[in-house]
Formats: sequence, C-alpha cells, structure tokens
Amino acid sequence: MIPGKYAEKIPTPLTHMKCLKCGTINSRPFKEGDYVFKEVEEKCPKCGHNKMRIIGIYVKEEKEKKSKLL
Amino acid sequence: MAWLLQFAGRTDLLSLLMSLLWFIFMLIFLIYPTFSQKIQLSYMLRDIERKLLRLKYFRDEVRKRTIQHLNKYSDENIKVDEGVDRLLGSVVIEPIDRDPYGIMYKLEHIVNTWEETFENEVRALCPKADEKTVKTLTNLVEVARGLDYIYRVIRHYYLLGKKTSNIYIVLQVQMILPQIMEIAKAYRQASYAFAQGQPIGDGVGVLAVAKLVDGMEKKTYEIAKDTVVQETLWNGRRLLVLRAKGPGGAVGKPGEGVKKLIEAEGDKIKAVITIDAGLKLEGEESGKIVEGIGAAIGGIGVERYKIEEISKAKGIPLYAFVIYESVAEAITPMKESIAKAAEMVVERVKKLISEKVGEGATIIVAGIGNTVGIGMT
Repeated sequence: MIPGKYAEKIPTPLTHMKCLKCGTINSRPFKEGDYVFKEVEEKCPKCGHNKMRIIGIYVKEEKEKKSKLL
Repeated sequence: MAWLLQFAGRTDLLSLLMSLLWFIFMLIFLIYPTFSQKIQLSYMLRDIERKLLRLKYFRDEVRKRTIQHLNKYSDENIKVDEGVDRLLGSVVIEPIDRDPYGIMYKLEHIVNTWEETFENEVRALCPKADEKTVKTLTNLVEVARGLDYIYRVIRHYYLLGKKTSNIYIVLQVQMILPQIMEIAKAYRQASYAFAQGQPIGDGVGVLAVAKLVDGMEKKTYEIAKDTVVQETLWNGRRLLVLRAKGPGGAVGKPGEGVKKLIEAEGDKIKAVITIDAGLKLEGEESGKIVEGIGAAIGGIGVERYKIEEISKAKGIPLYAFVIYESVAEAITPMKESIAKAAEMVVERVKKLISEKVGEGATIIVAGIGNTVGIGMT
C-alpha cells in the first residue's frame, strides 16, 4: 500500500574480522549469527588461515557536508 | 443589462462576475469568522492522516516481522500471532507516587515482575529458542510494542481533534509529528537489528568494557540477573568490570551488581566508573566522548538510584563517561563513529584510573547498554 514512495533503505552493517594468525583485517556484509568477539571459521585472504575473530560490526558512514554552525 | 454592468464600474460581464465572487468570498469571512480556522484544521488533519497511514504501515510491517521471527522458533500448535497481539497490548501500571517514600523499591518490584513475565511469555511462544535467542526476541517484541503504542497515541489525538474540531489539539500533534516520525523510522530499523542480532548504538558502553578486558586474564562470574563481573588486574589495580551477558539482547541489572560488589568488597572500592551512551544535541558529533561525575546509566531510575545510594553511603566517587549519539542511533545498527568511540573510551578510562586511583586499589568499571550482537571476551 504505502511502500514504493516510502520504501527506505535499511543500512546493512559490515562485519570486520581479524585473522588470528597474521592480524589482517577483512570485512564482509553482516550474516545472521555474527556477533562481536565471535571466532569464525573463514579463510584469511592474505595468509589462508581458517580462523578469524569478529572485531566489529557497524554501518559505514557517508561523509556529510559540515555546516558553518558545527 | 447596462445598469447591471455599471455596478462596481465594470464594463463587461466577466469582470462583474469576478467582482461578485470576490465580494461573496469576503462576506463568508465576515459572516462565518472561524471559516479560515476550519480550512487550516482540515489541512492539518489531512497532513496528520498521511503520516498516520505511514505509521500504520511501519507498525504492521514490524508486527509481521516479529511474528515471522517468533514462528521460526515456535511449534505448529502455538498461535504466535495471538500471543504477539496480546503482548503488544499489555500494560505496566506504575506505582502511585502520592506517598513517594519507598517508591523506588515498589517500582523495582513492578519492573522485575514485568520483565520476568514478558520474557516467560516469549519463551512460551518460542520453545525451540535457546536462552540467548529468547532475550533477543524479547527485545524485538518490545520494539513492536513501542511502535504500536506510538501509532495508537497519534491515532487517538487525530481522531479526538477531528471529532471535536479542536485546532489546538491538532496543532500540537502536527508540531511534534516530524520528531515522532523520526523515532518511528528508528524503531523500524531497530526491528531489523534485533531480528538479525546486530549490535545497536546503545551497546557502546558494553563494547567499551569488553575491549578493556579483551586479552587479559580474568575471572568471570554472575552477580545479578543477566549481569556478570570480570575480575582482572591492570597496572597494579584490581578491576571489577561489570556488564550484561551477551550476545543475546540484555541490559542486566548493573545497579544491583554494583551494590552487591560494594557490599562484598567494603572499603577496598576506591572508584566506580560507568560508561554509557547519552543523547546528543542537534549539531553535535556522534561518538563524541565526554567525562563527568555521577552515574551514567539510563532507564527508569531504579538501577541509578542503587548506585548513587550505595556510593553516597560509602563515600565512593562516581566517574562517568558518556558517548554522544542521537535517539535513532541508539536503537539502530551501530555506526562506525560510535564503534570507534568505544576504542577511544578504553584509553580515556585507563588514563583516569592511572591519574585518580592509587596502586593496590579496586575499581568498578560498569559498561551500561544492550548487549545484542556483543559477545563475551
């Protein structure tokens, strides 16, 4: 009924992971079941190690124009 | 015909008709002085009706999403939609405040009973859900309940203003509606966050204390409902880090936890530090960190009352760290600036401890917030 005009974009957070071996930080779109400090079995793109730790889940912000009042 | 055209000095029929129309129009305002108010009222009612339809859409969408998610963990013989509708319409009656003595403990009793009952109702609707999921689903139903309440209140004032043709009621609703719509949009986004278990802005306090003790050797134990203490040593000081248990959505009982710790430790506690999200003013930057004195903890006041009461009794200073964010940012998926602020707060807390508290002392550091999407370290 209402959507179309009012269909708003829901921001999807990114899951940031750190390789437990080489320390490389990688990110991908959030998946249900992710939580901060969870250890996941995903392959590190740099060293190929298959254990990473989620260090952050947040929405990337777009840079806004700052007004003279700020 | 010519005498008629001479009326008002016109030379043709069309300009005469236009003059007559203007005359009749002005006469209406003379005979019917509230006509302009009626026009204004009908314009305002139409504006409110449009926004009310949008609120209804949000309410229905969040209700549908809540039922869908609860159904995933339910059984075939359980009527989830009826259960959710019952929970959406449930009320909490605050204790009477005519005699305010002892009201905090009465309020605590009602709130505890409410929280326990609400959670048990959700648990009964979702027997297949584990404890962590029940907590997150409870938060989801609370979001749906909040949005339903906003819709019903605005609908009430709209219908009341329409029924009584009272422009003052309608004007007040119209003036506040833009802010209400922003809150409703935030609730809608919050339902996505809770449905999927994403961390929200309000969890920044918990995230900060989790990062504080990450990698340290610590002893973890439960101190109150959904609340844990992580005992560790840092820079010659003993830290008692208190937070709600994640990664399910819980806020715990930090006030009760701080009270029990101080009662158990006695004079060993030299400071209580609280870290929480706070409301920013328009124009302020999200993620800005401010330090202050007092208990940085929101809610209805029961938990804050306990921290203040016990700290005053024992003469323990209260230090607060507040991370600024808007109402919408507090209940929607955590933004990058707020996540980065959690890391910066850790350094500020360490600096404060080093400067204000001597070696060998014990400090309580309480991370306040909703732990949805934030695990234990």
